[in-house]
Amino acid sequence: MRVEYINPFVESAFNVLKEVLQGDIKRGELYLKSTSMPVMGVAALVGLAGDVEGRVLFDMEKASALKIASAMNGEQLTAMDELVKATITELANMITAQAVTKLHELGFRFDLTPPAIFTGDNMEVSDQDVEALIVPMETPQGKIEINVAIRERG
Amino acid sequence: MNDAVNAVAEQPKVEEKKDRGEKIDFKMVTFVLAGKEYGIDIMNVKEIAHAGRFTYVPNAAPFVRGVYNLRGEIISIIDLRTMFHLPAERKDEGTLENLLILQIHDQVFGIIVDQIDKVVGINRASIQPPHPIFGDINVKYIRGIVENLSKLYIILDVEKIFMPKAKEEKEDAYRHPVSSRTVDAEPAVPTHVAPDDAADDDLELGFIREALAALRDFATSPINEAWFRHRFDEWKNIRSGRDLQLKEGGEADLYLEGFYSPYTGELWGQEYVEAFEAILPAVEGASINVWNPGCGKGFETWSIACALKRKYPDSRIKIWANDSDLLNISMAPNMVFSFDAPPEYYADFMVQGRNGWSFRQDIRDAIFFEFHDVLNTNSVPPSDLIVCRDMLSFLNPLDQKRVIVDFAEKLKKNGVAVVGANERLDFEGWEPAGTGIMTAYAKV
Repeated sequence: MRVEYINPFVESAFNVLKEVLQGDIKRGELYLKSTSMPVMGVAALVGLAGDVEGRVLFDMEKASALKIASAMNGEQLTAMDELVKATITELANMITAQAVTKLHELGFRFDLTPPAIFTGDNMEVSDQDVEALIVPMETPQGKIEINVAIRERG
Repeated sequence: MNDAVNAVAEQPKVEEKKDRGEKIDFKMVTFVLAGKEYGIDIMNVKEIAHAGRFTYVPNAAPFVRGVYNLRGEIISIIDLRTMFHLPAERKDEGTLENLLILQIHDQVFGIIVDQIDKVVGINRASIQPPHPIFGDINVKYIRGIVENLSKLYIILDVEKIFMPKAKEEKEDAYRHPVSSRTVDAEPAVPTHVAPDDAADDDLELGFIREALAALRDFATSPINEAWFRHRFDEWKNIRSGRDLQLKEGGEADLYLEGFYSPYTGELWGQEYVEAFEAILPAVEGASINVWNPGCGKGFETWSIACALKRKYPDSRIKIWANDSDLLNISMAPNMVFSFDAPPEYYADFMVQGRNGWSFRQDIRDAIFFEFHDVLNTNSVPPSDLIVCRDMLSFLNPLDQKRVIVDFAEKLKKNGVAVVGANERLDFEGWEPAGTGIMTAYAKV
């Protein structure tokens, strides 16, 4: 993945999470992962198109998703209902959109696809031919792994 | 039994007065090595002794002077000066050496020093961390520096020196004589085993291979075997009789010195660029694709971009440069130079900005710097040129093969692959295409 793309994603993830969760956010060490990866339980996916092709996947445990949705809505949510899903989807959208805005300022053209959310146990995502950058974020509500895979159009 | 002079064990008595009421919670035995003052935590010092005529142990490391019978206990004697490559005066046969008998965990052994001074009590808090410029002795063996009565003492961390974590390190050097020679500690004439040079070398080579892999991820393989063997001969000269083994990173770096290609970590010089231009393939079509894995900080990528721009001014140049070291590669796209004027060769391609010189926009546009690991799927398009200097040698041999296969797959028919100055691709399907200082191969 191009070096220029890394910072916008890391920064916007940090900024957005800090803003919506109002807590102490820590970023873990960035690393690369090859294609197939297990999903922790809840995965929000935003597709990217334009000069590039790729996707951003927000991966977290169900418990963390509930806590994050509770914090963002200001009420205690205990079941994986529509509201929780919509909240997590919105979070994914906010982070990706802010990153894409930053990238746009740097002269890169990205378009977003509407986010989608997947929940379930023992899920695995595999997409061929592209390695992913993992941005681990620690929030008071739990861990979120942001998994960015972007490829230049040949 | 050993007829060496009996050790005079004298328990250290001298103590320093308390310095302005400062609490003394650390005592060290101080001594002199090559004119400098050192200290060792008194808790590690069992006693002080004077002794000589140590029993020589054949085939031990050079810093092991032999074994010694200390009141019935056979201990090995290490010459600290030789160990730290400090000058050591050879005393006459029979003259007594100054010994500190150390006890670390359950190991007892003696170290030879120039002169033993006294016991100094200090406050633990006054120990300063070692400064990297402390020469002679590797910084990681130094626990700290302390001042006492206007004298500076270097406190050695004996546990680290004599109990290294890695098993293949010095532990062997002293454990060996103790455990296997205790039984026959006769002060005999050193048994001279005629060494079989070739076999010896093979053994040493094997150890060095392992050390390079463990310390610096450098994998010896057909790619760099020629250099590795050549370097071994040089190494023997450099060490001239001293231990050939690599015990820590610094030594591995020293061994690898000279492996790296010209202009690693800097812009390529004119003669190197010219050699590079000479091996460039004849390119058909209006676009040139280059793959530059292991580009590090990006200097070589910028150099390549300028050379190609000069050679093929009308072609569309695209360079995919990648490295798996995030810190290195993240600086690459926005490289700024602080020199007053760019080197002549690059002058045409650079512009001066507020912070210094950087490359022109059209050169920037030609390069994609990517954070990418070549061992993951490589999604570069078919390339006319692959430049991969000194990266293959740092992959394990299986991965090397995989990547070379990938090179062959990604390289176009008349394409050329440039490897490190000391790397060879003498495999089926490749033929040399380099000239002089540029090592390159064409796909057959």
